[in-house]
Amino acid sequence: MIFDSKYSSLIIALVLIHFVVPNAQSQTNEKELINYAYESTYKPELSNKIIIKNANILTGNGDSILDASILMHENQIIAVGKDLDSSDASVIDAEGKWVTPGIIDIHSHMGVYPAPSLRSNSDGNEATSPTTPHVWAEHSVWTQDPQYTLALKGGITSFHVLVGSANLIGGRGVTLKNVRSRTVQGMKFPNAPYSLKMACGENPKRVYGGRNSEPSTRMGNVAGYRNAWIEAQEYQRSLKEYADTPDDEKEISDRPSRDLGLETMIGVLEGEILVQMHCYRGEEMVVMLDVAKEFDYKITTFHHAIEAYKVADILAQNSVCAAMWADWWGFKNEAFDMVWENTAIVDQAEDKTGCAIVHSDSAVDIQRLNQQAAKALAAGQKAGLDIDKGRAIQWITLNPAIALGIGDQVGSIEPGKMADLVIWSHDPFSVYSRAEKVFIDGHLKFDIDDPESFERTDFDLGIIDPEGDRL
Amino acid sequence: MIYFRSILLSLIGLLSFSIFAETQDILIKNAKVITSSELGVLDQTDILIQNGKISLIDKNINNNDAIIIEANGRIVTAGLLAPVTNLGLIEIELEAETRDDRTDHFSAGFSISSAFNPSSTLIPYNRASGITSAIVFPSSGRGDIFSGLGSVFKTHGEINTKSVATDIAMVMQMGGNRDSRASNFLELEDAFLKAKQFKKSRGMIERGGFFDTGEYSRRDLEALLGLMEEGKPLIIKTNRASDMLRMIEFSKEYELNIIFHGAKEAWRITDQLVEANIPVIIDPMDNIPSSFDSIGARIDTASLLTESGVSVLIGIADAHNSFLSRQGAGNAVANGMDQYEAIKALTINIADAFGLDDSIGSIEIGKNADVVLWDGDPLEVMTFADVVIIDGKITSEMTRSKRLRDRYLEVIGLK
Repeated sequence: MIFDSKYSSLIIALVLIHFVVPNAQSQTNEKELINYAYESTYKPELSNKIIIKNANILTGNGDSILDASILMHENQIIAVGKDLDSSDASVIDAEGKWVTPGIIDIHSHMGVYPAPSLRSNSDGNEATSPTTPHVWAEHSVWTQDPQYTLALKGGITSFHVLVGSANLIGGRGVTLKNVRSRTVQGMKFPNAPYSLKMACGENPKRVYGGRNSEPSTRMGNVAGYRNAWIEAQEYQRSLKEYADTPDDEKEISDRPSRDLGLETMIGVLEGEILVQMHCYRGEEMVVMLDVAKEFDYKITTFHHAIEAYKVADILAQNSVCAAMWADWWGFKNEAFDMVWENTAIVDQAEDKTGCAIVHSDSAVDIQRLNQQAAKALAAGQKAGLDIDKGRAIQWITLNPAIALGIGDQVGSIEPGKMADLVIWSHDPFSVYSRAEKVFIDGHLKFDIDDPESFERTDFDLGIIDPEGDRL
Repeated sequence: MIYFRSILLSLIGLLSFSIFAETQDILIKNAKVITSSELGVLDQTDILIQNGKISLIDKNINNNDAIIIEANGRIVTAGLLAPVTNLGLIEIELEAETRDDRTDHFSAGFSISSAFNPSSTLIPYNRASGITSAIVFPSSGRGDIFSGLGSVFKTHGEINTKSVATDIAMVMQMGGNRDSRASNFLELEDAFLKAKQFKKSRGMIERGGFFDTGEYSRRDLEALLGLMEEGKPLIIKTNRASDMLRMIEFSKEYELNIIFHGAKEAWRITDQLVEANIPVIIDPMDNIPSSFDSIGARIDTASLLTESGVSVLIGIADAHNSFLSRQGAGNAVANGMDQYEAIKALTINIADAFGLDDSIGSIEIGKNADVVLWDGDPLEVMTFADVVIIDGKITSEMTRSKRLRDRYLEVIGLK
């Protein structure tokens, strides 16, 4: 009886393996299945035809168009310009106010480090091993973080949620639309590529060096990345070898078993997953470019990038973006050499071919990314660099969109793109400017004059006063 | 060689600078003067500065000996004050040896005045952005409640900088932590009772008698007596409305002069704040309900408090960017605060709350000549300080950050 049962479970196991293990053909299907299983379920209702008239538009493409209109229909921008046909559209008179694309933050921890910051909600760093490419930020996201609504009131329509920077290779990041949903899948930006968060410098070596384990130095960091990529390349090779074996020669035992972390790293090697890398120092960024060269992958953006200005030409030559703060500094040694002109210098390097992004990494600053861009612009102008507002708005719209692989869908006001827009009360580069109306996919998601216009998170309901809402 | 030359140049620069600045009167012509006083805003006005003080505010002042600064209608305000900052105590937050804002040895009596570093890189950086005085406090002391005593420093950066007022106020915190806040309140009460006993026993102690100071040092108890006897302000870092109400009751019982700091839920108890005349230090941009003590955080707190008659002081927790209090004030205005009140929240309200208002915090005759000429609206994010004057001397606008900028503009080929 005991023998029987042992034997039968072995048979079942063999049958299962035979059934589940795919051949070369079905391996692709498995990959698709994995992506399908976690794909976005966000499908906005078709929006009505709306025309915004009398708007001054910073398009996100670098241009300003004065006194023009924007026509939106069925979640998309249909037309931009003067004398648009507005028949059967509801009309919003912008009264000469500024309109920009929806603001995009490429570096957020909303949802994974939500408010209130409780131990039980601290889900952003799997700081138990320096290499954790197998974790996905979206599996930590709390959909009821009250910070989303605050960001919406600051004009944020999409944001990228990254894991923290404790690890050399931290895990997958996810791009979300700033819409309320009961599920994280209901917030996911449809078809946006995943990112892989990696981190240079002080954080990994402090976290693991502090436990007397590797890495405890910057050279330990670099050895850590290289070893991880060697492993990923080996895995990639074995997968390919198995795939290339003729079907009749395939042995079940030869098939490489699935490895979540290495699957993510192969995604990078194959160009499907974008590397977003936390890195402060100039020379470290350039070392990382060598690591990327050694293993033939691309770094999309260096985040925080306090010293990007020291290597701005090299970044531009390699088509790598830098995502920066306007003025944060001094909280650690690698953040000591901050200059206000960082963003502007990156932008202007190599004949204005640099890719500059202003990011928040903060639930406070994400509410006023326009002001952070304004400070960076003012510093650049004062240093004599020739940058206008049409270009500077790209730091918080089109450039982050491109760096997130969604630049064909959002980040600028042009026909065919998602109707994500902000109407501002004043010049968006003014401290007094507030987002008056925020549209996401053609739907008015926030109206400063209508307290009922935005959806509260669960957290905000009845938490101060059972009869009322928090905001 | 290049380094040597640049050091030499900057030394010469420093010397010549201080020589002419020491002796000369300064006349600012045709400014829009936001006085932070009852004089309000004065258009097309001149300010004469002599012997480090503001000696005259009028139209069409003439003085042939003075350095003339033509404002051409630009705005002049009083120098900004950083109300509760670690400026001068901290260089790099994560490098413990560069920090002097914490101790495990003293609590209420932890005086930081001897640790102030006038050569900190944070000082020229914040000065060039308009901060002329810093009210410098420690971050934490021994135990859960008291952090210690704060002192006031000018930000001119001279090597012999001394505090202009020493140990003028104490800072403590109250709110959710590992221990019950009820226990914190009892501990607070015990500390003040101990200080009172200590006072009664002074004679006995001087005669050689033994007094058990308990978990506090003599310094700690003296500092607590300073609050009760000299009316030095006690700054209470706290956010929850009910905690603030308990502290107001406590302050009445012990006749303490208190100021709330953080105070994210202060808008819920404006009547009590007005009745007890308690100023509130806030960061108007921090509307995050970051703990269950601050669920009521909101973006329009500054406006709600000001309109109820509460004196608002604007300060930023981050010492490195103390000057961002300007952006905080701008955001407060965007969310309903009166513009003039916002300037006062950066200047005179701070001086007033700390008893410094007879010397700094506004542009009035006889006060220290700490003034800033701006290239635009001082609350705007795209505005810079053009000239910063402290004690009647024009200060250097150079910072280490600008030196790095200039070097790399060349390296990258943009200059």
